[in-house]
Amino acid sequence: MLKAMLRGLFAHKLRLILSALAIILGTAFMSAAFVSGDTISKGFTDLFSTINEDIDAQVTAKSDVPSLEGGGGEALVTKVVPQDVADKLKGLDGAESVTPQVVSDGARVIGKDGKVVASNGPPRLGGAWPANINEDPNLELRLGTGPTAPDQVVLSANLAKSAGVTVGDKVEIITLQPRRTFTVSGISGYKGGRDSLGGETFVYFTLPVAQELMLGTTGVYSNVDIKAAPGVSQETLKQRAQAVVGDGYTVRTGEETSQEQASGIQSFLSIFSTGLAVFGFLALFTGAFLIFNTFSMLIAQRTRELALYRSFGANRGQVLRSVLLESLLLGLAASIVGLLIGFGLGWLLTRLLRSTGFPGGALVISPWVVIGTLFAGTIITVLSALAPALRASRVAPIEAMRDAAKPDKPLRRLTTFGLILMAVGIALLILKGTKTLEDNVLTLGGGCLFIFIGAVMVAPALSRPITGTIGKLVDWATPGRLGVRNTGRNPRRTALTAAALMIGVTLATGAGVFASSVKAGLSDIFASELNADLILQTDFTAGPTAGFQPALMDQVRQIPGVSTAAALQTDGVKLANRDEFVVATDAKAAQTLFTLEPREGEIRELNSGEIILNDGFATKTGLKVGDTATMQTARGEAKDLKVIGILASSQVVTNPLISPADASGFRSPLAQQAYIKVTDPAQIEPVRTQLKTLVADNPEVSVSDPSAQIKQATTFLDLMLNVLNVLLGLTILVAVLGVINTLLLSVFERTRELGLLRAIGMNRSRMGWMITVEAVLISVFGALLGMVLGTALGITLVKIFGGNFLKLTIPWGYLIATLVLAVIAGLIAALLPAWRAARLNVLQAIAYE
Amino acid sequence: MSAAARAVDVWKVYGVGEAQVIALRGVSLEVERGKFTAIMGPSGSGKSTLMHCLAGLDSVTRGQVMIGEAMVTGLSDAGLTKLRREKVGFIFQQFNLLPTLTAEENILLPLAIAGRKPDQEWYQTVINTVGLADRLSHRPSQLSGGQQQRVACARALASRPEVIFADEPTGNLDSRSGADILSFLRRSVSEYGQTIVMVTHDANAASYADRVVFLGDGRIVDELHSPTAEAVLDKIKSLDLTVGAPE
Ligand SMILES: Nc1ncnc2c1ncn2[C@@H]1O[C@H](COP(=O)(O)OP(=O)(O)OP(=O)(O)O)[C@@H](O)[C@H]1O
Ligand SMILES: [Mg+2]
Repeated sequence: MLKAMLRGLFAHKLRLILSALAIILGTAFMSAAFVSGDTISKGFTDLFSTINEDIDAQVTAKSDVPSLEGGGGEALVTKVVPQDVADKLKGLDGAESVTPQVVSDGARVIGKDGKVVASNGPPRLGGAWPANINEDPNLELRLGTGPTAPDQVVLSANLAKSAGVTVGDKVEIITLQPRRTFTVSGISGYKGGRDSLGGETFVYFTLPVAQELMLGTTGVYSNVDIKAAPGVSQETLKQRAQAVVGDGYTVRTGEETSQEQASGIQSFLSIFSTGLAVFGFLALFTGAFLIFNTFSMLIAQRTRELALYRSFGANRGQVLRSVLLESLLLGLAASIVGLLIGFGLGWLLTRLLRSTGFPGGALVISPWVVIGTLFAGTIITVLSALAPALRASRVAPIEAMRDAAKPDKPLRRLTTFGLILMAVGIALLILKGTKTLEDNVLTLGGGCLFIFIGAVMVAPALSRPITGTIGKLVDWATPGRLGVRNTGRNPRRTALTAAALMIGVTLATGAGVFASSVKAGLSDIFASELNADLILQTDFTAGPTAGFQPALMDQVRQIPGVSTAAALQTDGVKLANRDEFVVATDAKAAQTLFTLEPREGEIRELNSGEIILNDGFATKTGLKVGDTATMQTARGEAKDLKVIGILASSQVVTNPLISPADASGFRSPLAQQAYIKVTDPAQIEPVRTQLKTLVADNPEVSVSDPSAQIKQATTFLDLMLNVLNVLLGLTILVAVLGVINTLLLSVFERTRELGLLRAIGMNRSRMGWMITVEAVLISVFGALLGMVLGTALGITLVKIFGGNFLKLTIPWGYLIATLVLAVIAGLIAALLPAWRAARLNVLQAIAYE
Repeated sequence: MSAAARAVDVWKVYGVGEAQVIALRGVSLEVERGKFTAIMGPSGSGKSTLMHCLAGLDSVTRGQVMIGEAMVTGLSDAGLTKLRREKVGFIFQQFNLLPTLTAEENILLPLAIAGRKPDQEWYQTVINTVGLADRLSHRPSQLSGGQQQRVACARALASRPEVIFADEPTGNLDSRSGADILSFLRRSVSEYGQTIVMVTHDANAASYADRVVFLGDGRIVDELHSPTAEAVLDKIKSLDLTVGAPE
């Protein structure tokens, strides 16, 4: 019996291929993301353990200040190991060798074009050339000699290449110090022909120069590497070293060091691969609608067949099992294909990344990825076939004798249920959405999910009125009218097909509304609160040590036409036991430039030991005027600061302000931004010219103005939005497959009707036209639903995140573009079914039973 | 007076080799304008095939088919479609109507497809003759089988085609509904000069026609003019044609 029923599945195999395609796409994307992530991650771990092969213990200075990079390792060293501590380690019991090192982030080389050589992420390291290069386990000299004079450097091969310099050339380098000129004495690389470990660049100075430029002072080290004597374990060595250096220092075993170094990169990688996997999952989720629809349609068509089995004595369980088994086989087969394609994609991706300097070896295929992908793909298929399967099992034997065409079941129950779900979702958002975001991610997510599922249930009831209304546009000709009628004929099917499209469009629209609200909010802030005409801006990719001397402001204030100017020095610190960014600036000038108002206390030029809190921080900590807060900077000692004022809520200044005198312990002594107000608008251009000459020798600092800043932020937002939309394109692709699928099946179901139309004189192109109208209506319906939901989602996001930083703005142009895309998607989806319908053999169609 | 449709030595062969079936073996037939012609014959004798060839739904293997002055043989698909749209009306045994359209829309569908405006006076006449005036806004699913066939008749008539082809239009109906349809077809021939070709198994149905053509094994074997049901039955007996039961 089961065998016979399963044969039914394979008889419909062509029709199942489209839904299988959806599963294949989703699982392929998911597994590719994980496999490539794992491979690269393994590559990094391997790499670091090779590099650290000779390190059994490593000593670094402890830092309380949060890392700027999120992950574990921050390449910029702010706490150093002084000479005396390094000396104490010399002769450590059980150590074969003790090597103090100098390595830190922030050595920027100026290329031939006068611009700083960009790294796009990986650190730009600077350090001391090893005392004996021939004994170094990893590093090798490719050309020239090591640096022997203070003005000599060795560049890593990748850096020399991008800077366009070679041995003997002069090169300018920015470090903690402003640009300085060096001569390239040699080019280095890693053993085995590798130019870099993970895209990072390296400048090697002589030891004292490295100490001064990279760590701020001579006679200090970034870390001390210790190699164990034979028979001494890493753990023992670690304990002994810890005993020598005491509490102020961190000692890690070689293994821990590798993990620490890899962890930063790995957390970045896992964000990347999880992100991709989420889109794969979204595609799968979209595919679920497609599968649900396919199984529903196949079962509707096979009602007679199933009823026949029932009349032969098959019981409900058998029918249910046969349908579920079908879906299981389909899901598993599609997931396996998807997994294999995913491996291929993953392989390609790692190859691609390797060519840009990432490490990587053979593809790492963890059993979890295999199990997870197969499970996700299969379970989604089976779950989405469950409802149709239950329906199939309820087919009564009598239906074998009845005409297959049954009137639609009423939608009232479904719609009511959907409305209730939506109401619950909205209630969740309203009740919980008023609190802060962090506490309520689950409630909010749940609320959105309820609304979404509710919307899917309400969609069938909406499909006829909405497609009917849009259909008015194409109602003037018979094919159009017929297409509109056909779309309204099976509301559930139309709605489900459209719902698949709705997923992608909802997310895209939500993101669009959010982005445009951010943009509008930004412009608003710049217009209303920012009182500056010109801005000195440091390239934000230049790293935490880039910027200009705050003393430059003295010269800026001398420029005729400048009325107020303030430099901002921003850094991450530990303030009142919280990780916080603080800004060192002239608070008096800032008040004018950013239209600041005190909520409590006063705003005036800060003395050392004083702090003005922003509204948010004061609320969070409950600090009042007169209280003290302890601030720990990256390089300095802890210092108590007295609160002299609290700012009224401001959109521009969202961090505490301190005196520049207290910023000496910041990672960088440089300021990253300066805001300048001129006496009258006519002065803007002359002042701009003057500013340009002032920063002409600093390629990381440029003269900008508020409108350019808005534009930059806008461009960035647009870029993010585009990336998101390209990824969401995957779900749209699956949805288009769904439209194709639905229409192919309905063309098949309606063979007889289409034959009749052809017999009474409808020509081929009009048949195609009719099907095209159906496809476009379904996709436009889906897009409209998605746009409404997405707009609601966007508004919710804005309300929750926003306060007044975001100004709710509906991006009409974006919405119209989405609609146009939906029409195009419909047109594409129509091609195959329309062709099928047009090619129909009239006679066979009429004879068809 | 020229024929409304004409077949000259029409052969129709399906398949090749072993599976070859010769459905029509040199059929020549003139369908008189303004007359009601019935085609009878046992199952598999080629009635439907002949009708499809005459109506431009199927191509002939040999011979020629004309509708009015227009040559059907050799037309492209587009040409055939146009010809059917302008000159031919159809009534099938079942599934004649589009379920998404109302009765009225179904009736006017061929005109709408052709982009022609209905002649209001004629439309009213048709509606009244088939007795559907109060059912016009109903969907096919809300109509009985007999009513559905009446809508199909009205549709075929509405565009006043050169010929209406009906393949067992009463095959699925009880005798009373069938009689309604037949007398309606009869009236449209007698009163409005419509030309109708009807395939049927039923001697009684054939008796409504002006002329009955008998097919046997792909050939025209006999014919009767102004037949009565008894005359048709006698003829069938004398021809020793076993009439298949309606499906
Ligand atoms: N598409 C086809 N392919 C092959 N043979 C066909 C095809 N259509 C019809 N035939 C054959 O042609 C012959 C005539 O068929 P046709 O349908 O014209 O018979 P009919 O007289 O209409 O029969 P019935 O009274 O059962 O409707 C039959 O033998 C049939 O099997
Ligand atoms: Mg027949």
